[in-house]
Order: sequence, then structure tokens, then C-alpha cells
Amino acid sequence: MNNSRFVRTAGWLALPCLVAAALLAWYVTREPKSLLEDEQTAGVDIAPNLVARGEYVARLSDCVACHSVPSGSPFAGGLEMATPLGAIHATNITPDRETGIGNYSLGDFDRAVRHGVAPGVRRLYPAMPYPSYAKLSDEDMRALYAFFMKGVAPVRQANIPSAIPWPLNMRWPIALWNGVFTDTGSYATKTTQDALWNRGAYIVQGPGHCGSCHTPRGLAFNEKALDESGTQFLAGALLDGWYAPSLRDDHNFGLARWSEPEIVQFLKTGRNKHAVVFGSMTEAFNNSTQFMSDHDLTSIARYLKSLPGDRQRDGKPWQYEAVSAATQMDAPGAHTYVERCASCHGLDGKGQSEWMPPLAGATSALSKETASAINITLNGSQRVVAAGVPDAYRMPAFREQLSDKQIADLLTFVRSTWGNQSDAITTEAVGKLREKTDPASSSPIILQMR
Amino acid sequence: MELRINQKTYQVDADDDTPLLWVIRDDLGMTGTKYGCGLAQCGACSVLVNGNIVRSCVTPVSGVIGLEVTTIEAIETDELGKRVVDAWIEHQVAQCGYCQSGQVMAATALLKHNPKPTDAQISAAMINLCRCGTYNSIRAAVHELAGMTAQKEGV
Amino acid sequence: MSIRIKSAQDVLNWPSSDPVNLSRRRFLTGTAVGALVLGFGLPLGSSRVQAAAAAAAASAERGTQVPAFLEIRPDNTVRLLSPFMEGGQGTFTAMAQIVGEELDADPSTFLVESAPPGEEYVVLENGWRITGGSMSVRMSYPVMRRLGALARAMLLQAGAEKLRVPVSELSTEPGKVVHIASSRSIAYGELAQRAMDLPVPNPGSVQLRDPSKFRWIGQPVKRLDAYDKSTGKALYSIDLKVDGMLHAAVQHAPRHGMTVGSLRNEDQVRGMKGVHSVHLLPGAVAVVAERWWHAKRAVEAIQVNWQEPGGDSKVRPMPADFSSDEFLKQLSVAQGTSRDAEKEGDVAASLASAKTTLEATYQNQYLHHAQLEPPSALARFNTDGSLEIWLPNQAPDMFRADIAKRTGLDPSRITVHSPLLGGFFGRHFLYDSASPYPQAIALAKAVGRPVKLIWSREEEFLRDVLRPVAAVRFRAALDDDGMPVAIEAISATEGPTEAIAGKQGEKIDETAIEGLAGKSYAIANKRIAQIYVKGPVMLGYWRSVGNSLNDFFYEAFLDEIADKGGKDPFELRLRLLRDNPRLTKLLQTAGELSGGWKRGPFIAEDGTRRARGVAMASPFGTHTAVIAEVSIENGQVKVHDIWQAIDPGSIVNPAIVEAQVNGAVSLGLSQVLVEEAVYINGKPRASNYDLYPILPPSRMARVHVRVIESGEKMGGIGEPPLPAVAPAVANAVSQLTGQRIRSMPLSRYTFT
Repeated sequence: MNNSRFVRTAGWLALPCLVAAALLAWYVTREPKSLLEDEQTAGVDIAPNLVARGEYVARLSDCVACHSVPSGSPFAGGLEMATPLGAIHATNITPDRETGIGNYSLGDFDRAVRHGVAPGVRRLYPAMPYPSYAKLSDEDMRALYAFFMKGVAPVRQANIPSAIPWPLNMRWPIALWNGVFTDTGSYATKTTQDALWNRGAYIVQGPGHCGSCHTPRGLAFNEKALDESGTQFLAGALLDGWYAPSLRDDHNFGLARWSEPEIVQFLKTGRNKHAVVFGSMTEAFNNSTQFMSDHDLTSIARYLKSLPGDRQRDGKPWQYEAVSAATQMDAPGAHTYVERCASCHGLDGKGQSEWMPPLAGATSALSKETASAINITLNGSQRVVAAGVPDAYRMPAFREQLSDKQIADLLTFVRSTWGNQSDAITTEAVGKLREKTDPASSSPIILQMR
Repeated sequence: MELRINQKTYQVDADDDTPLLWVIRDDLGMTGTKYGCGLAQCGACSVLVNGNIVRSCVTPVSGVIGLEVTTIEAIETDELGKRVVDAWIEHQVAQCGYCQSGQVMAATALLKHNPKPTDAQISAAMINLCRCGTYNSIRAAVHELAGMTAQKEGV
Repeated sequence: MSIRIKSAQDVLNWPSSDPVNLSRRRFLTGTAVGALVLGFGLPLGSSRVQAAAAAAAASAERGTQVPAFLEIRPDNTVRLLSPFMEGGQGTFTAMAQIVGEELDADPSTFLVESAPPGEEYVVLENGWRITGGSMSVRMSYPVMRRLGALARAMLLQAGAEKLRVPVSELSTEPGKVVHIASSRSIAYGELAQRAMDLPVPNPGSVQLRDPSKFRWIGQPVKRLDAYDKSTGKALYSIDLKVDGMLHAAVQHAPRHGMTVGSLRNEDQVRGMKGVHSVHLLPGAVAVVAERWWHAKRAVEAIQVNWQEPGGDSKVRPMPADFSSDEFLKQLSVAQGTSRDAEKEGDVAASLASAKTTLEATYQNQYLHHAQLEPPSALARFNTDGSLEIWLPNQAPDMFRADIAKRTGLDPSRITVHSPLLGGFFGRHFLYDSASPYPQAIALAKAVGRPVKLIWSREEEFLRDVLRPVAAVRFRAALDDDGMPVAIEAISATEGPTEAIAGKQGEKIDETAIEGLAGKSYAIANKRIAQIYVKGPVMLGYWRSVGNSLNDFFYEAFLDEIADKGGKDPFELRLRLLRDNPRLTKLLQTAGELSGGWKRGPFIAEDGTRRARGVAMASPFGTHTAVIAEVSIENGQVKVHDIWQAIDPGSIVNPAIVEAQVNGAVSLGLSQVLVEEAVYINGKPRASNYDLYPILPPSRMARVHVRVIESGEKMGGIGEPPLPAVAPAVANAVSQLTGQRIRSMPLSRYTFT
């Protein structure tokens, strides 16, 4: 190949590249249109009941969980979130004009919350669950805006820059990610279903952003489904060292064994006879679900119970097998169970009413993902704070008392007793999680919204 | 709610999730059962429920309704319990003594279920913490009790 | 509104319209304190006792106010008020043995309780009233014997009057006065009332028993508290109750020094079941309730806006970024003035000229006391405004003085009761912010009813004072024969005494360097020095105090010296003690006890690979030598056996001594194997035993004890068997694994 031909060829190739680059540049720097753009917001008195409604939407959306830190001012940001690329920090969303969102118009606010684009076409990392918030209704958006402008005290607190290094810190590729992986438009009522179901679908898919933890993610860290049209929606996922179980009608890993009232009880009080919230769900419960109205909780339960399970994935349905751990002392791990666990969870694995969860039939003991079982054993549980009162009983941390092997044997025992039939846990898996995690605090952590 | 403790029936007004420990200590005034950690870590609060050893600090009181609770206060009314106490005195186990109610209950529960425990079984059952370090005396006392039991049965 | 209380003094100065509702019953229900006083021994504070006390003080007369100590009941039970607190160390039994020996009363007939504050109970040779420093028996032994003898003389005198015979014709048998000539005898119980009205004889006039004729001293007399403690009958502070009593729980500031700003949900908390009232205290919030469980749940629910300490904070504030790991790193490179605590010869010259030198830096960890009984205090104001308080303590007079200072009450209006301690270990000394009694007093005053405050385990771990840390830089020089000719230890640390009382100018805090200083090895040139580094952690005394860390450092480094010089560590110690027959015998005894010194590694009968280590310590007037045998099991150090030879000069109760050695070994193993209090971001990582493990039964070693009664001055027992345990284990592990152990705990190391 001679030079001129090379140049010619390169030229032909360069042209589409340039065009593509221009289109790309336009696409990734384009500011999405907000449907609320033209609404007059500045200077308009906001009705107090709108603020109150917005506060409720903020509860549904659990904004506080990320945008506040325990010792900090409400919504002033600061929570560190580890990503594979480096740490990022949640931002100040108080109405402070300099460091917060005090200068945001309703349109700006809408673009950030529902589209993930802050003023100046700065694209938010999808750690902000805008793919879910996109489903928020216009009414809820207006209310949420009202709350953040009028219900939250402005706090001057500069945002902490992300620790992601160049070039990984360039944000324009997020636009492409958004193009592929997010839906647009708020939740559309499904006329084939009743109002309660629709309300539940709206909360679960939208403000509740349940899928952020419970829906498995693809290679690009995208949720594999954003609503019930995908069978992977809320099918259970691994995130941050915890396995968020299936919320579908799966017998073993999901909610098939839970009645609607039991789901409501769980989200309202943090516990029922099947389980007590733990891991990341503690934060979701402490800051969000317990504040939801009974009607909304019922709607969530109704919606979740409508999501079919997958027998193939779920495997043979678990059935309780009565056995006392004390009679199994030859099994590795049984010894540790009897010494360390039986006081609360029982020799029969059945726990104690709703106060101590059963391990017989527990999702963490049945699921293929072992992270939750290992994590809670190593690190214990955060305090579950229901109606302002910290729990009477908490799970201790065993990382200082049990070796990787002891924990592996113990959990393997739990996963193969009382009808539980799941894979053994390896010493290495425990060791890995031990390195990556820290013990839970024994102090109640209560984040303030006001 | 109605509780059966040391063969007596008590009426108590407690929330369902109140630990049995605090009902025993504060509502019923029986202070032999001790609070050490409240987290099932130390065993100072050990009592028997239907003959099984239980850590009363993590036992919601509603869970023992209809069951027979035995505390250290009744230990000497039980023939085996009395022998355990005698062995504890013979071996001069106690130092500060704070954990010993729980230790005596644990030993009694062990020997009730298994009059001739092996060393491994003793290790598995006698797991309560003692900051004074009476572990070797406890072991000696339990060993002797295990031997006595064996003799009694003519083995 | 909650009530903000700055100090108990504030409350007491308030014009209060609240009626002070008090129990009419004078005594605690169910305790021996409440038993009817049948014999003489009038209740404390009676004029007879006070008159005796007024005459007291001069050291020659210490422990001579017989009626203040003794009451003999008609049934011949001897009630002894002990100047020392019982916390497991067996001092009540020892006191009964000592007094009983001279009184001629079987110790098993004794009922021993803690004496209240008062000059008359100052019996230690140093003039203190404190239970600690392993001082009780060794420093009061002659005085307490004389007390028994004085009481016996008074009983004899009363007997002479009653039998109308000359006192010279009388003798005693246990519990009775005997007139051999007429075969008559009278039980002490019958004579007691008269005897105690007699003047106390001249202290110099009584003859003490010939030690060769001792019946109880030196015997394994059974502990007096064994039955009560095996049946749940023993009462500790946490168990006490008085009529009309309310319960309280607190939530402490997450970091020491922070203050209460505001409460966000006070109304909610006040509305919770059983809640009587909500209170703001210095650095804490409290809930008073009908039941402790209600108080605890409610106080945990309080959402407090904690405020950072101001510049004028009177307490040692804990910074938000404090990390104990980082602090230890800083200590290990600390520069600054080092003050000599011990200096002989010329270390610098010796180091400079030696062909062989070595150096190493050692460090240790913070520790909790972790006694099983969480702290509590029960306070009651009587109708006359006087205060009664029940609280765990090691020094009732100091506590009473402190309470007087805090409340403005005259000490005579404060009654301090000292119940059994559910664990000792140094936890109940007077530590400014580490005890619940100031809070209990303030709450009792505020609510006008008696209040028992219990700290939950979590609140205890947040305010417990910790065993200090140090980083010690060692240097040593060896001669051509491999023997050490110089040793230097510079410890960057803050001692517990200077942490509690404040740095005393240029003076070295002995509790900071004991165990580095005071070693008996004949090394010609030595320098032991301290660089004072004040840290933010509140420090306290922990069983065996400075020795608990310093003997670990010194004895482990001594093994490094031995290895560098090609010497066996046991032989090296023997050589360095060549001119010290007492310690030579002690070390040889430990060797014999272990079946003959062998260092290993060797293969044990069960096929495990093991090694042994040796270490010595001489704390609190007693000398100890320890040999430990270890192996590695599943990556963890397993200590199979501890052989300990101990020479306390002479002893009172060999069974209790052996129990104390066992206990000290357990605590020594705990600190070297598993324990550490870690601070991250100004907060303790552990709030309970889950993340702060203490030695479980599965990790206890077999313990073999040999007591040597050399006849030298009596030494302590409670603490001395502890310090040599950690270095003996560390030395064994170094020998077994080839990995130098220069820090505790071993759970931080990886063994394969």
C-alpha cells in the first residue's frame, strides 16, 4: 500500500468518524428537555401541603440515605460511595445557593432527578438512581422540589470532589449509557391492573428504586430490567457485599412464602416471622419504608406478589425438616452453631417469633449468593430503628472471634440443615469479604430530614 | 402474661419483646441471674427453659409463656443442681462470682442431658466467659461431677 | 422540658419544692447489712465508734479500734468489717483467717463485709485506704493480726470478770474463753457485749501467736463467699434495691468531651412506656423509669445533637480523627525529652564501643477492664438531706471525699456502701468520668426518689478507662562472649497515674515504667527512660498496671539479646541472676516444675510441633518465673501449659494464691492472645464482647503453680502472677515460628 492510497483511504474513513464524533458530541452534551421547564417556580409561594407531600416523596425515594451522613446536617451530602473506579461522594442538595441546589429551577431539578443531568450538562453518576426516579410523576416532582426548596434548611457545605482519576472521570460516556439503559417518561398506569397494583408498581419502580439493589445488573452495571416486563426485574442481586434477595414469587429466594400482610409488616416494623431487615436494607427501612403509609405498603405488597417466580432458578422448594443442631455435633460447624448461634436462632433454626429471625428457610441460607450470610456473621447488624426506637436485640459481629474456616463451616452447616440445601461456603469466600468489609456500628444511626 | 418460674406462677406486665432476664431481675426481684453483655456473648444470664440452657438476655419473654423456667434461685431444689453447687464449693470455683450463677446453670444443663460428658462435650457446653479466669476450676468441678454420676450409675 | 444538670452541686443548690420521698426502711432489703445488730458492735457512726476514731490516726494505733471492726453475735458469728473490698481476690477470707488466728475464732464462723469510710479503717502501712496494688494482706498483716489479738484480750478480760478469776488463769479455744482449772468455758457470743465496752488494751501489750502454731494462716481455708457465689445469693451493686427506687440508664456522648446540644425527640421519649423523666447530664443524657429495661430502650432512642467540646472543656476531649493504630505509630517515632527513671554505668559509651549491638521497637495495645459486672450506682437522699450511696469502689474514703466535693455535702452526711465487686482488675478506682455515681446522685436529687443507674455494656465500653499503651525503643550491647553489657529502653508513653492525676512536673510516673525499671538482671550499664506523650484516651489501672506491658517488652527483648549472643534464654537469665539466690532458686523451680527446661521446637506426644518460652517479673513485692508451652493450631497460637513459680515471701491461703495465679494467667493470656481496644475516628470499634473478645474457656491453658515461701518480706498476690505470662508466651511463639513477637495481641499476626 502506497502513501497516497493510504491517505485516500484514511480520508474516506475519517469522514464518517468525524460525523459520528460530531453527532456524539451533540448527543452527550445535549441538555435533556424537562417537561416542567416552563413552569414558573421562582418567587411563587409554595403551599405548605405541597412541602409536606414532597417530604413524603423524599421518604419514598430515600434521598436522605445517601445525601446525609449521621453527624452532618440533613441533605448536606458527604456520604462516600466506593466505586470500582474510585470513591465518589453524595452532593449537597440543600437549598444553599452556593454549594447546594438553591439556584435550581424546577426544570433544573427535574433534569437532575429524572434524567441524571445537573445544570451545565454535568452528568450524574448512576449511583444516583435516576433510571428509577425517571418514573416519578410530575406532581411528585413538583412536591419534591417544593420540599427541597422550602422544607430543607440551606447548609453551606462544599461538595467533595470525586476521587476517580482522569480519564475515567470524564462523564460524557454516561450519556451513551443513559441512551441504552434508561427509559424515559414517568410511570404509565397499566389499565389492565387496579389502582392499588399501579400505586405499588409506581413506588417500587420509581421513587422506591427497589431495583437498584434487588435487580441484577448487566456488564455495564445497568439494571437488567426496570419494570415487570423483564423477568430479571427484582430477581435478586449482589451489591456492596450483600445479596439483596428476589422480591418475586420465588419460593426459596423470593417472597412466595410471605403473605401480603407479612410484607407490609416487614416494611413497617422491620421484622416479621420470616426475617428481620439487615445489611443495606436496614438503611432503607430506617430511613424510608417505615414512613410509608399503610396504603402504600399494601400496594407494594400487592405489586410484588404479582411478579411471577422462576422455578428453574429457584430450585426445589424448601421445606422445613425438624432437627436439633445439638444432635448434629459431628458435622463441622454444628459445634460453633450450638455455641454461638443457638441462643437466639434456636437449636431448631426457627428463631424466636419476629424478634430473632429463623435461619431455617432464610433466603440468605438458601440462595446461591453467599455474601449476605457471610457479611452478617462477620460484621453483625446495624440497629433497626422502628418508630424511633432502636431494636431490643441485634446481631453481634463474629469477625474477632471466629476464623474464616469456622465461619465457613458454620454457614455451611446452616445451609445444609433444617431442609436448607445450598452450596457450601468456602474459607476463601469468607476471607475475601473479611478484607472488604467493616463491622456494623452498634449505635443507632438515625438520619434527619429536617 | 403468665410465667412459670421455679415451679411458681407469676403474673407480669411486660412487653412481648422484653428480655426474660429483666423480667426475672426487675419485675420478679430475683437477682441471681446476672446481666453481663445483653448480647448472648458472656452467659452470665443463663437460665433453664424446660431443662435447656438459655441466655435470658436474648430471650423475649413472650417466648417462654407456658414453659418452665428455672433460675439459679431454685438450683438447690434440684438434686443434680445441688450436687453441682456442692462441687463448685468443693473446688472453690468462684472468685468475684459474678459469672458463676450462669456457670452453675450451664453445668447443670449439661449433666442433666449427659451425665457422663466427654471432654469435648464439656468444652462445647461450658462456654460462658469468666474474667477472673476460673476456667480450670470449673473444668475440674465438672469432671468430678461427671465421674460421680458415672459411679452412681454403677458404670 | 428535660432538666439540664451541670453537676450534682447544681442540683443540690436548687431551691426544690419536690418532696424528697424516701424509704423509712433503713437497710437494704435482703442484704446482710440489714441484719439486726444483736451483739455489741453498734451500727457504724455510733458515738462509741466515733470516739475511737477520733483517737486514731497515729500509725502505731492503726487498726486498734476493735469495736469498729468486730461484732460477735450471740450465736458466735463474728462479723468483721474489712478495710478491703472483695472483688474475687479472696481478701475477705484472708482477713477472717488473719483476724481469726489471733482472735481464736474459726474463720468459717466469720461474716465479712466492707467497712465504710473512716480513719479507723486505715490499716495499710503506707497510711492509705485503698484496695489495690496487691497491698491488702501484705501491708496490713501485722495490724490485722494485732486487731484479732486485741479483741481476744478484751474477751479474756470480760471472761475474767464473769468467771471471777484472774485473767492469767484463762485461755481461749476457738470461739470461747476457757478456764481450765474449773473446766468452765464461756462462748465469745456471751461475752461480747461486755468485752466491747472495755477499753482497748495497749496495742503493745498483746502477744501475737507463734507462726509455727498457726491453725488457719497458711492453710487452704475455704472461701467464705463460695456458697453465696455458687447459688446466686451474693449481691453486687447492680442487684441492690431500696424502697421507692427508680431505675436509670444513660447514653454517653460518642466521644469524650462532647456536650449535649439539644434533643430532637424528647417528647417521643417521654411518652415511651415506663418513662418517668428525661435528664441532661454533663456529656450524657439519662432516662429514669420504673424498670431498667424501659430506661435503657428509651435512652437509646434519644436523638441528641452532640456538640464538639469547647476550648474551655475541663475534660480530656477525644478528637474526631483519633486512631489508635496511628497513635501507636506516632509513639514509635516520638521525639522529645526523655527523662531517666533508672541509670547505671554508661550506656552510650558501652553501645558505642561494643562490636555487637541490637535494637528493636516494641509496642502494646489498649485494653478494657471488661469485668463482667457493668458499673452501677444506687443513690438515695434521706429526709434529713443526707446521702446514702451504694457503689462499686476500691477506696470508699476517696469516693466519699469526691462525692462531698461534687455535691457540697459534708462528708459526715454521706454514707458510702461498698458491695461485692463483680470483677476487680483496677476498674473501680476513682476515675473522673468513668463511674456512674455522679450521675446517679444527680438523678436521685432531681427526681426526689432513690435511683439505681446501670451502665449498659455498651455505655461501659464507651467510658471505661483503658490500660495505657507504650512504644519502647530498646538498644543493647553484647560483649565478646555474647553477654549483655548494656541495655537501654526509652518508652514513649503516658502512665496511668499521670493520666489520672495530671503530669507531676519533672517527676517520672512510676506506673509508667515499672517492669522496665526495677529488673534484677546484672547488666552493668542500663538506662530506662520515658518520653512523656499525652494521648487523648482516658487511662486507668489495669491488673498489674505498668508491669502488664513493660515486662512483656523487657522479657521479650531479653530473648532477642539471648539469641543474638547465641545463648539459651533460660541459661542467660540464670547467669544474669548469678548473684541473686532468691531469683535463681525461683527460676530453677519454674524449670523443675515444667519437667526441666527445654526450649524446643520439639514434637509433642500428640504430634504437634511445640516450643517453650520463659519470662520473669517482680511486681508488687513478689517474684515470679513463668514457662509457657505453645503450638500453632489452625493459624492461632495455642497455649498448652503455663508453669509458674511464685515467691511472695510468705502466704496466708495457698488455695486462694493458686486461684489468683490461675486468674492472672487467664488475664495474661487474654492480653497476649486476643484482646485490644481499637479506636477509629475517635470511637471505640468495639462496644461489647463481640468485637472485644476476652479469653474464652477454649483458650485457657493448664496452669501449674509452685509457691515458694522464702520467708522474705510478704509480697502481693492479686497482680504479680500476670506480667510474666505474656512474654513467656511471646518468647515461645518466636522460638516456634521464627517470627519475632514485638507487639500484642498475637491475633494481629499471621501464623501458618
